[in-house]
Amino acid sequence: MPSLKRHEGYLLIDNRDGPGLSEADVAAWRAAGKDVLAVPEGKKHEAGTITCHHCQAVVILNPARTRSRNYCPKCDHYICDTCEQRRAQTLECVPFKQVLDELQEQNARREQLGLGAASILLP
Amino acid sequence: MARWAISNKSFTPVAVADTTAFTDNGYLALQGGSSTQRSNILEVQLNGLAGASTPQLMELARDSTVAVTSITAGTNGRGPVALDPSSAALAAPPLAVGASTTKPQRSSTLSLLELGMNAFGGIVRWVAAVGEEIGVLGNTASLGEVSLSAFTGGTPGLTSTHIIFEPF
Repeated sequence: MPSLKRHEGYLLIDNRDGPGLSEADVAAWRAAGKDVLAVPEGKKHEAGTITCHHCQAVVILNPARTRSRNYCPKCDHYICDTCEQRRAQTLECVPFKQVLDELQEQNARREQLGLGAASILLP
Repeated sequence: MARWAISNKSFTPVAVADTTAFTDNGYLALQGGSSTQRSNILEVQLNGLAGASTPQLMELARDSTVAVTSITAGTNGRGPVALDPSSAALAAPPLAVGASTTKPQRSSTLSLLELGMNAFGGIVRWVAAVGEEIGVLGNTASLGEVSLSAFTGGTPGLTSTHIIFEPF
């Protein structure tokens, strides 16, 4: 059985030659709801990332996490916390690639009819 | 398909809140070349070039308002450039956006990756796994443009960046 690690991307934050970010630097951003890592002076941080299969948001993996990661058994991919909430309520799996496929198809049809591209505003 | 890159070798990001118009030469964005074109973003890199400590939050996000009219890559922006010299020219190449008449605006809900960095010597690089790339479709909101810009706060400093993508 293939491992889900095959879906992991890679993030490097290299502050070995700079002051980096302190907890104080990122406090305001975190208060605004942004998920920012504080990698301090002289440190190099390497982490795996997952791209949520339902919305394509990139999640930086925290190796110290003890909660289980959100997983969609229908598409066999990790998903982000927000999409897991939605999946738990609706039990639906709509991969983002499916959204792109459908919209691309729709745009091609509109182009053939001489209409403009469809505009989509996601949540 | 072949891999292409857009880049900006030297720019100072201008920090703006979500759903606020960007400032010319203060961001870098990738916009599709036609209404049906799809691209996958494979890699994003930022290199700090500042001469003093300048914390900044760079955000890769979809744009809820896309650039329209007189679109250019900006003063130091370049691309798209094929990574392999034998790549065939694209009929409708995606656009590197660094300046335009109607400015793009970052979506408040479609943030993709938050990259906090200090432009005084900081290096940040994200690489997608195969099959897990970020998709761009068409050239209208909100799937047709992905931008790399600074979020409010901090003191953004001189930075260079590139985005590698694969149109198909």
